[in-house]
Amino acid sequence: MIAVHNVSKEFPGVRALDEVSFNVKRGEVHGLVGENGAGKSTIVKILSGIYTDYDGEILVNGNPIAFHSVRDAQDSGIATVFQELSVVKDLNVAENIFLGREPLKRGGIIDRTLMNQRTLEVMEFLDEPMPVNEMVGNLSVASQQIVEICKALVTNPKVIIMDEPTSSLTEKEVAQLYKIIGQLRDRGVTIIYVSHKLAEIFTICDSITVFRDGKHIDTVPTTETDSEKIIQMMVGRTLKMLFPPRSVKPSDEVLLAVHDISRSGEFENVSFDLKRGEILGFAGLIGAGRSELAKAIFGATRLSSGELEINGSGGKRFNHPREAFQNGISYLPEDRKGEGLLLQASIKENMTLAILKKLKLSKTRSERRERRLVKKYAEDLQVKMVSIDQIIEMLSGGNQQKVIVARLLMTESSVYIFDEPTRGIDVGAKYEIYKIMNELTEQGKGIIFISSELPEVLGVSDRIACMREGQLVRIFSQADANPEAIMRVLAGGDA
Amino acid sequence: MRTKNRLQRLIQVRELPLLAFIVLLIIFFSITIKGFMTVQNFAMISRQITTVGIVSIGMTLVLVTGGIDLSVGAILSFAINIGGLLIIRGLPIAITYPFILLLGAIMGTINGLLIVWLKVPAIIVTLGTMNIFRGAIMIITRGKYMTQIPDGYLWIGSGYTPFVIFVILLVIFEFTLRRTRFGRNIVAIGSNEQSALYSGVPVNWFKILVYLLSGIFSALAGIIFIGRSGFIQPQAGIGYEMNSIAAVVIGGTSIYGGSGTIIGTFLGSFLMGLILAGITMLAVNAYWQGVINGLLIILAISFDTLRQMRRE
Repeated sequence: MIAVHNVSKEFPGVRALDEVSFNVKRGEVHGLVGENGAGKSTIVKILSGIYTDYDGEILVNGNPIAFHSVRDAQDSGIATVFQELSVVKDLNVAENIFLGREPLKRGGIIDRTLMNQRTLEVMEFLDEPMPVNEMVGNLSVASQQIVEICKALVTNPKVIIMDEPTSSLTEKEVAQLYKIIGQLRDRGVTIIYVSHKLAEIFTICDSITVFRDGKHIDTVPTTETDSEKIIQMMVGRTLKMLFPPRSVKPSDEVLLAVHDISRSGEFENVSFDLKRGEILGFAGLIGAGRSELAKAIFGATRLSSGELEINGSGGKRFNHPREAFQNGISYLPEDRKGEGLLLQASIKENMTLAILKKLKLSKTRSERRERRLVKKYAEDLQVKMVSIDQIIEMLSGGNQQKVIVARLLMTESSVYIFDEPTRGIDVGAKYEIYKIMNELTEQGKGIIFISSELPEVLGVSDRIACMREGQLVRIFSQADANPEAIMRVLAGGDA
Repeated sequence: MRTKNRLQRLIQVRELPLLAFIVLLIIFFSITIKGFMTVQNFAMISRQITTVGIVSIGMTLVLVTGGIDLSVGAILSFAINIGGLLIIRGLPIAITYPFILLLGAIMGTINGLLIVWLKVPAIIVTLGTMNIFRGAIMIITRGKYMTQIPDGYLWIGSGYTPFVIFVILLVIFEFTLRRTRFGRNIVAIGSNEQSALYSGVPVNWFKILVYLLSGIFSALAGIIFIGRSGFIQPQAGIGYEMNSIAAVVIGGTSIYGGSGTIIGTFLGSFLMGLILAGITMLAVNAYWQGVINGLLIILAISFDTLRQMRRE
């Protein structure tokens, strides 16, 4: 039905897909799995007509295709249910389903009678049809998801791609979705089902394709494999020696104790200890609630319940990052450009942002002190730059990251939360970030290290906390941890 | 059951609080002001709100797509001042009116093209074109008034003619926004542009079209402006952008795009006209009008923002 031949897609600095080839058979439910960043979403966006610029060839029914738009793909019989809800909340159910293909009377007037009637036809397979005139914004997230599916169905597709369709559904609704998928398959519709939840894949898929690091690893019939094998394919077998050796062991002294904290809709009843000299890794799939947890600990958002204990003094909760700083906690945000950098400001200004008060900048002597301090940190961290007055936008990602790390180091905190500190930076810079983390532990600091790259979490951390759907499911010690076991926990197997 | 549903629907109508407020205000003014509840007074209000009101119809369409058009007043002025050069040379209405409307359409299209091509926010593009158009008027006319307007141009601005035109346009575009593909698709664009694009909505073309329409409405308001004032001045239309945005927003159209009604815009225009008339007749300091309109805008946008937040 669909044959993908040597498809590659590059983004600046990243090869998202590398010579990928696989086939999808007519009328099957084809699972597509892989870790975060494995290239699943990229191939989905190519097949659905969003990315029109790529290398390689895609054949549908033996004919090579080149989509220029999503509409193009739909007209060729490929409809996509996107991961992010793409419903229009200000239109009603029928209007959403027929958006861009409304049945018209003369003069561009929408034929509502026909549109509503056909909406009801499309919804026939549902146990209870939805009110066609209801504004989609008033529906539950699950119902919105079903509207999305109906929107795909109305194009009468031969292939439906579902990208993480269950990410916002409850179990009961997932069962409903399985039923829908079963009915579609009986009608001869081919389904490509993208998910990182293995349980789902094994429940409904006929065959499974595994991606890793932008490469196609294998495509196997579900009956000839098991979740153990799939996980091995997803994580790869070897961990390369990319990590500097740890020089100290964590002490028993607890720096930060988190007691039963929750923030509604984001994470629930999370408890853990962070010890002096420890790197505590946080593994999880995207949306597991790790960054949300970090931001709430740091006081960027508010906790709904629970409390923090710092150096033995308990009952704390921060309403503002300033309070967290005062208590020796600092946070390196995940989104470097959006939440971390002042892009148009200099290296110096970016570095000293958090300690301006301490520097008392009104005095000329402290200006000199500031420059000395910035130079020292820039040298220690080996920031490659022309001068400390250089605009930070001109630096590479790795060097930008070092500047923000320096900003945190200047605060002389005791607990550092690093949220995806190595995202989008090259291997050499990654190594240096790990080294800085090691040095911090030598100085007796504690580090919470959030990363979506499993090898890195395993390579750097003393213990690994696994989060899934807002819950801290399990904490592995370094000795028990292996990629397969962690992936099993993250993907929703047994805990 | 059915009647109950209808009743519920009526209660949920978004314009209801605004309508209630207007009724209360009319009651208040008719008690405090002698001669407020007269046909002449309401005829005057209806005439006063027409020019800004027509501009506001176009502004509603623009705001629904999530855009904004700050150049409406400048387009109005440009269209009639350049058109005026033909008028004082004695060309017939059959040529001058279409010419003025065409100028409006061209300038609106320029706005739309810049917004779509450069992907610069509409507020910046139209702020720029507003200044360009205003500057061009002064360069071309050297700031001169045109007073030699033939009597034939006055008909469209006299009696109930402007108001009738306004009402006809209101009905047409209320229907357009609710019932046509263009109307529903621009709602989709304002609500979730990416989704609209993925669904095959001609996003760029419809965006250009709303600015084009906004330009035509501005030019039409200019034609009525000539009819009412009997002369053409370079300063025509100053402040129209803010007054029309105010009317649209008070009428319940979301400043964030994605929802709005033409009826609401009419009510917003009417409310502003009512307040102006009331203040004038009460002989309180006329600057109170600005204060009251400002408060209404903030109130309306607060409601809108609250509605948005509740949905998130």
